[in-house]
Amino acid sequence: MNQALGKSINRVLQSKSYVVLLLPLLIFVTLIAIYPLFFSLRISLFDYRLTDPNQTQTFVGIQNYLRAFKDPVIFISLKNTLIFVLGTVVSELILGLGLALLFAPETRIARFVRSFLLIPMALPPLVVGLVWKSLYNADFGVIPYYLKALGINVGRGPLGELNFAMPAVILIDIWQWTPLIMVILLAGLKSLPNEPYEAAYVDGASRWQSFIYITLPLLKPTFLIAFLTRTIQSFKVFDTIYATTSGGPGQATTVLNFHIYTVGMTFFDMGYAAALANILLIVVAVISIIYIMVMSRQQY
Amino acid sequence: MRNKLIQKIMYSCLLLVMVVGMVGCSTPTAAPTEAVVAPTTEAAAPTKEAAAPTKEVAAPVEDVKKFDGVELTLASMTDQYVSAFRYLIPLFEEETGIKVVMDELGYVDLYQKLTADFVGKTAQYDLMTVDIVWSGEYATNGYTLPLNDFMARDAAVTNEADIMPVAWTLGEYEGKQWAYPLAGYANVLNYRKDLFEAAGITPPTTQEELLAAVKQLTVGDQYGIALLGAKGSAVAQDYMSFLQQHGGSVLDESGKVALVTPKNIETLEFFGELFKYAPPGSTDYWWDQRETAFRNGTVAMMEGWSIARAGYENPEMSSIVGKVDVTAAPVSAGMEPKYGFGGWGIGINASSDPQKQEAAWEFIKWITSVDIQKEWVKHDGAPIRRSTLEDPELVAMYPWFPLMLNSFENGDGDYRPRIPTYSIIENALGTYVNAFLVGQETAESALTKAQEQVVANTK
Repeated sequence: MNQALGKSINRVLQSKSYVVLLLPLLIFVTLIAIYPLFFSLRISLFDYRLTDPNQTQTFVGIQNYLRAFKDPVIFISLKNTLIFVLGTVVSELILGLGLALLFAPETRIARFVRSFLLIPMALPPLVVGLVWKSLYNADFGVIPYYLKALGINVGRGPLGELNFAMPAVILIDIWQWTPLIMVILLAGLKSLPNEPYEAAYVDGASRWQSFIYITLPLLKPTFLIAFLTRTIQSFKVFDTIYATTSGGPGQATTVLNFHIYTVGMTFFDMGYAAALANILLIVVAVISIIYIMVMSRQQY
Repeated sequence: MRNKLIQKIMYSCLLLVMVVGMVGCSTPTAAPTEAVVAPTTEAAAPTKEAAAPTKEVAAPVEDVKKFDGVELTLASMTDQYVSAFRYLIPLFEEETGIKVVMDELGYVDLYQKLTADFVGKTAQYDLMTVDIVWSGEYATNGYTLPLNDFMARDAAVTNEADIMPVAWTLGEYEGKQWAYPLAGYANVLNYRKDLFEAAGITPPTTQEELLAAVKQLTVGDQYGIALLGAKGSAVAQDYMSFLQQHGGSVLDESGKVALVTPKNIETLEFFGELFKYAPPGSTDYWWDQRETAFRNGTVAMMEGWSIARAGYENPEMSSIVGKVDVTAAPVSAGMEPKYGFGGWGIGINASSDPQKQEAAWEFIKWITSVDIQKEWVKHDGAPIRRSTLEDPELVAMYPWFPLMLNSFENGDGDYRPRIPTYSIIENALGTYVNAFLVGQETAESALTKAQEQVVANTK
């Protein structure tokens, strides 16, 4: 009996070994990602307030989603999110590429500087936000102090002025996440083959030409990874905003995720918050798919 | 062929999982764990030597035995009184055998962690400090235990008549006590004696005089007043405080939220006028920055909670030692003097088991008893009892106690309405008053939008 069981288990293990190997991961993912996703899909169809003593959940269909289209804050926060994503991703990719090219050679200085550039990435965004908040402070901060010394009127400080709050927050994100792009692109640069460069050299191509026609096209897959990771992360930005401006002044830096947080954790309106979170999910998923398609078509 | 298909399915599953994994984290439950900002964060206490409290306050020994081995968890706001907790808890443990583990949390964090604990009925915390403004919400939802049965049973030992009448607003809602008074704060006006003397003026007694003094004392890098302007609870609470001093209210007579009234608009404009004489960064000030501005001598005046007063005489964190005096927060000319009252109660989790609730009540009784209150106040706690405010030794230590007593006697604990929808009102005001201050809205449009947001989020 025992032997038979053992044999049949063995057989299963041998013929379907990939199932066994995948199982732990699948269970983990189901618990951590799939279940919460379906839960949030479910409660987004309900009127469900966490603070309701009876915990009643009333089915309202797509009312929560329709409500999002009438919510004035949604449009402001969507616009702010797009500005934030555009501002951070574009400047981080350009700066990251520059840094990667600068520090690609294996010199001692490059190795030294490289390791230092990784520090911002290792810090929790909340801590970074608090540090920058005090740096930016109009009355006691270091940055306004030097700006004032240069004769520049800082007004309410970078985080307090309507027009400067968003650029100031974007700058924090650039400071923190450009090194990540640099690391990804460095890895890409290191893995490039030598032959095309040698061939180009023989053909008399200038360094600029080999950069434009060889390096950049070959780096495209790496760019895709860097771009995608940062775009998605930028869309989800929360901690930096929470720690520095709380979406202020007014609504100037209220991004989508911060608005979701307010609805969920201040109003405890879980149904509506879940609906908003799902809208964010769809936006990001669509953007991801478009980029994957565009980049893979160009590659072949 | 089949294997290919399975492979394809597996790959697509993996792809889905990756996308979901990367994006799925955006559900709003991911609350930050750190205590980011806490009102009056200056927990660093001026070190004072004090005698150990007299031990005969506790209940009789046989009563105490039954709690041996009970462990309570206390969630405390990181206000200044947290150092009094740190000092007193070991004494309580020694006396009763009840172990108390304290978790110190910042304002936003405390509120959210407690709500999660109450909603899930996880009873992670047995005791919690309850902000005066949370009373209504906690009562309506039955988060904390109504203490009236305990109070009636032990009325002989608690000496309730000694507790200031206004202090009961720290936890009272519709006739029941959902938290017990713990730390009472009065809204007072701190001012720089030296600057007022140099300018040859006396401290303001009305809001109109306050504005005049603020204008006069703003010279060069010296500003008239420090205010809370940061988006969120900070600006909302400061506006409501001035609203109280001008005789306005966020509720109408029937108790409905009514933000757009001529009085409220006028007060908001006054509030905006004051900001012209506050440090330029004020629209970004949270409680701690406002304190810094006063302590480092940038401003001449600051309205704030009385609990911060002792810190101004501590050279380690103040550069204005000996230059500060305190007076009642001025109200509008012709108004009956009413002073903003706030502070913290201490509540018992309704989901904790009965033995723990009993032990928790023991703790509340002990910490609010007459003798322990004296130690509480000596170690940076805040008073709730008349006997504490009139104690000669304490008055010698804190010469501003008689003023506080007067503020408590004319205290108004309801200028920030203690109703279930308070946090929604606060959030709406927090956004739009700040938007007004930075010039995004006019006073009227700001309050109109805030009103709309409150209505949209309350059903």
